[in-house]
Amino acid sequence: MVPTASYIALSGILFALGMIGVLTRRTAIMIFLSVELMLNAANIALVAFARAWGDPTGQTAVFIVMTLAAAEVAIGLAIIVAIFRKRETTNVDDLAGMKG
Amino acid sequence: MMIAFILLGALAICGGVVTIAARNAVHAALGLVGTLLCVGGLFASMSASFLAATQVIVYAGAIMVLFLFVIMLLNANSPITSKDPIPYVRELAGIGGTVLAGAFVVLAFTYKDPQPLAAGVKGVGDGTALVMGETLLTRFLLPFEAVSILLLVAIVGAVALVQRPAAQPDGVSDTDEVLLPSAPATVLRLPEREVRA
Repeated sequence: MVPTASYIALSGILFALGMIGVLTRRTAIMIFLSVELMLNAANIALVAFARAWGDPTGQTAVFIVMTLAAAEVAIGLAIIVAIFRKRETTNVDDLAGMKG
Repeated sequence: MMIAFILLGALAICGGVVTIAARNAVHAALGLVGTLLCVGGLFASMSASFLAATQVIVYAGAIMVLFLFVIMLLNANSPITSKDPIPYVRELAGIGGTVLAGAFVVLAFTYKDPQPLAAGVKGVGDGTALVMGETLLTRFLLPFEAVSILLLVAIVGAVALVQRPAAQPDGVSDTDEVLLPSAPATVLRLPEREVRA
């Protein structure tokens, strides 16, 4: 069986990729996609540790994280659509002001 | 088993690279779909069968469809070509990400399994819906109910956020043109009833 360490290493690599995406991409949607990548990396680690300890609690936490991600995506994309209607852009550099 | 892990892991990393590097937003979203499917496969290989199914249905299915829908709705698939206002952000992010990934990999291989993996697999009981449901409705009952309320709030919030302002007296909403700047009218003409809903 593949040891837990390999899964954790893969999870770390995916998390770092997601972090690079959040730092370098400039449209709100692309930043959002990168955040989803980071969430999935964390999920891999949770499932790997659940298997290592023989405890289904970790898997249940992943289930709840998935639900949260679905809610987050629904609200986040709605906010992006609302901003796009008002400003006609989703470039985060242009959305730096708090006014309006 | 090791071969499956290496294949799925390599594909997941490739999908991740496409996600963060693709110039076209649709390509990036499809790269993420690949990564999510591979993560589902990895869940299955860690004897989390219910989560693997949920990953494919909810993540790769529902959530990514929502993403693709919004990308196409906003015509956001063209990259930003202007210069980044933060100097050297790509190089710095690349170096930082490499260091972070290296640190994670080094740390990961210092981890020792607390018990033989076969015992762990037995403990999670193949991660079936039975095992998950039992945990969810006993130890995790409060988070479970809280999450269901959160989903309800998210539904109402999403509808409220994207609601168009009330139509003007002449029946023309002034946001129609702003929302769909260059889409052909024939494709997006909905029945009157649905537009007002």
